Amino acid sequence: MKWMGQTVGLLVATLVLGLAVNALSPKGIQWIGQWDTSQGVVTARAKDDAVHSDVEINNPMKVKEIVEQGSHVVIDVRLRDAYAMGHLPGALSFPLAEFDEIMDELMGVVTRTSPILVYCSGFTCTDSHTFAQRLRDFGFTGVKVYAGGFREWEEMGFEIEE
Amino acid sequence: MKSKNRGGSPWILLLCRLLLGITFVVAAWPKIGDPASFAKIIFGYDIFPAQTINLLAIWVPWIEMITGICLILGIWALPSLTILNGMLTAFIVIISYNLLRGHSFDCGCFSVGGSSQASDAVWLLVRDIGLLGLGLFLFRFYSPRSTSS
Repeated sequence: MKWMGQTVGLLVATLVLGLAVNALSPKGIQWIGQWDTSQGVVTARAKDDAVHSDVEINNPMKVKEIVEQGSHVVIDVRLRDAYAMGHLPGALSFPLAEFDEIMDELMGVVTRTSPILVYCSGFTCTDSHTFAQRLRDFGFTGVKVYAGGFREWEEMGFEIEE
Repeated sequence: MKSKNRGGSPWILLLCRLLLGITFVVAAWPKIGDPASFAKIIFGYDIFPAQTINLLAIWVPWIEMITGICLILGIWALPSLTILNGMLTAFIVIISYNLLRGHSFDCGCFSVGGSSQASDAVWLLVRDIGLLGLGLFLFRFYSPRSTSS
């Protein structure tokens, strides 16, 4: 029947249109994303993606070591309410949402070459990467991201500071 | 387009078409503007194979947009209704499945930046069933069989 052919035609047309717009859009994504949490923070791999897996530390034991040794300034970029309910020991609260207002305060505790470890809520959260990207834009050179974030830390049963 | 209803008011038909069409166009717009966020919402449903997530995020909003526009304009109504009813059925199955297994998710129905709660899922289900009812009602009027009477 004619309408069945039109149905298939519509589906094909929408697919072609979607792929074309996606290819041209500055917010376009790749055809296949990174959706495996064992590989780090999940991402659709957009053209403007802040996620850079090369700056991730995707190993909770390694992060525990960093926290215990105090070798990095640990930054929690979640909202202040979430931070208040519990965070990694010694972590400082610098919410991504307040980035522009907190730069002066942040510069009081770090230098552009300080080793910094940023985290947010977990593998599906990209705020830590966005924060790290902004720091890199300001010339910071030692920024790492804890991929598993607070959720993994909590699931590992590690110490939580309130 | 040709009216193929069997005595139904053309105004009611138009109203139903506009309601369903506008709903899907409004739903599609934010997803088209931010495919990465929509892809993450699809990932959150925890149903789709990883390889299909991005393609769905690229494709589905345009299916919603174009079929919605077709319904509003009254062109290709039958194929549009076939697709929309199929999609609504899929939404209902997926939401029900996640509700039954207690998997919380953000539906991403009309936005990509919201923080929908799992408790909203029952309401989503009711709404999608209502929309499917509307879609099936329209399909009945536009289907070829209804012209033979």
